[in-house]
Amino acid sequence: MYKAYLVDKGLIGNDPHFLEGCGSCHFGDEKAMTKEKAHKGFVKRPSDNLKTCENCHGGIAKTYKDALHYTTHGQKYVVSGRFSPNESKIFNEKVFERSCRSCHASCGDCHVKSPAIGGLSSGLLKGHKFVKKDEGKTCALCHGGRVYPEFTGDYGGSADIHYQKGMTCLDCHKSTEFHGTGIAYKTRKDIKERPACINCHKSGSEKTEQAKSAHKTHQNRLSCYACHSSGTYRNCYDCHIDKGATSKPGFILGLNPRDKKTVTTLRVIPTVRDTFKEAGIKMEKFDALPNYWDAATHNIKKRTERTRSCEVCHEERKDFLTRETLIKNGSKANESLIYTPKSIKSGGKR
Amino acid sequence: MIKKTALCSVMLLILALAIPFVLCARDVDPIVSTEWLEKNLTNPRVTVIDIRKVEEYKAGHIPNAVNVIYGSWAVMKAGLRNELPPTDDLFDLIGSAGIGSDSIVVVVGKSDNIPNRTDVSRVAWTLKYAGIQNVAILDGGYDKWVADKKAVSTDAVKPKPKPYQAKVNEDLFVKKDYVMNNIGKVIIVDVREPDFFEGKKKLDFVAKTGRIKGAVNLPTSKAFKSDGTFKGKDELASIVANTIGKDTTKEIIVYCDTGKVSTTWAYIMTELLGYKNVKDYDGSTEEWMKDSNALIEP
Repeated sequence: MYKAYLVDKGLIGNDPHFLEGCGSCHFGDEKAMTKEKAHKGFVKRPSDNLKTCENCHGGIAKTYKDALHYTTHGQKYVVSGRFSPNESKIFNEKVFERSCRSCHASCGDCHVKSPAIGGLSSGLLKGHKFVKKDEGKTCALCHGGRVYPEFTGDYGGSADIHYQKGMTCLDCHKSTEFHGTGIAYKTRKDIKERPACINCHKSGSEKTEQAKSAHKTHQNRLSCYACHSSGTYRNCYDCHIDKGATSKPGFILGLNPRDKKTVTTLRVIPTVRDTFKEAGIKMEKFDALPNYWDAATHNIKKRTERTRSCEVCHEERKDFLTRETLIKNGSKANESLIYTPKSIKSGGKR
Repeated sequence: MIKKTALCSVMLLILALAIPFVLCARDVDPIVSTEWLEKNLTNPRVTVIDIRKVEEYKAGHIPNAVNVIYGSWAVMKAGLRNELPPTDDLFDLIGSAGIGSDSIVVVVGKSDNIPNRTDVSRVAWTLKYAGIQNVAILDGGYDKWVADKKAVSTDAVKPKPKPYQAKVNEDLFVKKDYVMNNIGKVIIVDVREPDFFEGKKKLDFVAKTGRIKGAVNLPTSKAFKSDGTFKGKDELASIVANTIGKDTTKEIIVYCDTGKVSTTWAYIMTELLGYKNVKDYDGSTEEWMKDSNALIEP
């Protein structure tokens, strides 16, 4: 046996994936006696080509080709609102295909080997075993900048109550969200199968009258996150091609840019006026979109300072976006997200 | 009549002296071995609390252990790390883990380094604060359990929640003002490593180097053997006595950088060695060094 053999011998007999030998996925020449000959035609990441998995997992492979984790279309369509048609064309050719697209997840990135971040992977999940899920070694890496460390408390705040209860990503996010349904969504916000708090926490099922009343009063006017996000989350600033962005913790409340009837937690996104300057894109419609987007913060807690005291929002107006706190030289659309809660002491005067 | 009154007085005195010992009586040693835990896993009073991360717990844990991650027990508050959760949250947490006031709670964590070992003592100290009398630490933690080839499980345990209410033990933690007012009156113990105690090093989030004026040094690392288990009781007693003396009635305040690492010696002193008045300064240097009025040396 070759001394650097990666697959545990015991695994081979117990997993149907190995029945037809390594070559059925990785190609190369299994019978060759030298490394050079064996590796001729070798494919390092077989599932980059969905056809490899399609042979046995036809249904999933068929829908996955249109799923956002594979197409990464979210990284194209949201920002495209800032571009003229010509700029969109340049972006698709010079930025999206060369940079953003490299983030797509193949089947193997979730089921065999941790995805590479910045060219580095933590390796096989379980000695080349095909695993159903292992969120801490897969989701945690691609979503390790914002969501996952907030969820586990590693970003410095409280861990999300769902994590504290032993739940991990796939307890809320169902497999159809990843594998797709055959619909080529443009952004994750379009996915109908996305989880919603209300799916489990039904309205009217509150244990206290105070909670019941608070939920009724704020229904359709406030997202769950606005009150139940336990603390600061990561916001990214000032991104430029090849240089990246800087980040710092923050907590920002304002109107949801996608639904301006609702106040929610906002996250600063790092696109600035000259983000794509190097690619020759000025962003002619930069001001059409804000620099703040609705954030599904993953640091939920039952009791927060806002659930304990109405005054935190209604008198102190703590963390609400104001003209003074808007990022400098930001989009003109940012101002439309400012919301000032009513005072509860002075008869509702703002 | 005089004889009867005198007899009654003596009996009352005996009772008064005995009550604290009865109240503090333990049904479990403060530090338990893997052998003890293995034998007591089916004891209905025993609740094993595994404070490791969810992913680690799911990969393998002590059978019947309930996972309540460290971050549930110690939270960021007012810009300070490792603070007590609000009391209602803490009681919810204890109740949701199926812990009652009569439970014997064994806290299990990782023992590969000092931060992980002291996570365990911080949780044990917090449980004491919350009114749980019978708290124990698994010596060597989950690492020792595995090294000893004890049974492990991957079945997540869903405990039966029960309402929990108790009187918190406020005496176990002190605030900055209390420390300021008691410099020179109590023994202040800095449990950080010598370089930190001597002002040569500091952690990034601590504003200044140095120590609280008048503090003595008792590094937490001295409590452990190289395999992550605790040193023997006699050796621990000798280490403590050499630094702060043998008088178990003196008031002692321990601190570190966030009030977590310091709980190891606080726990050993009170639960194992019988020191009766040990308090943890929760804000520790993270809070102290920000205050220009707080006395520091060197």
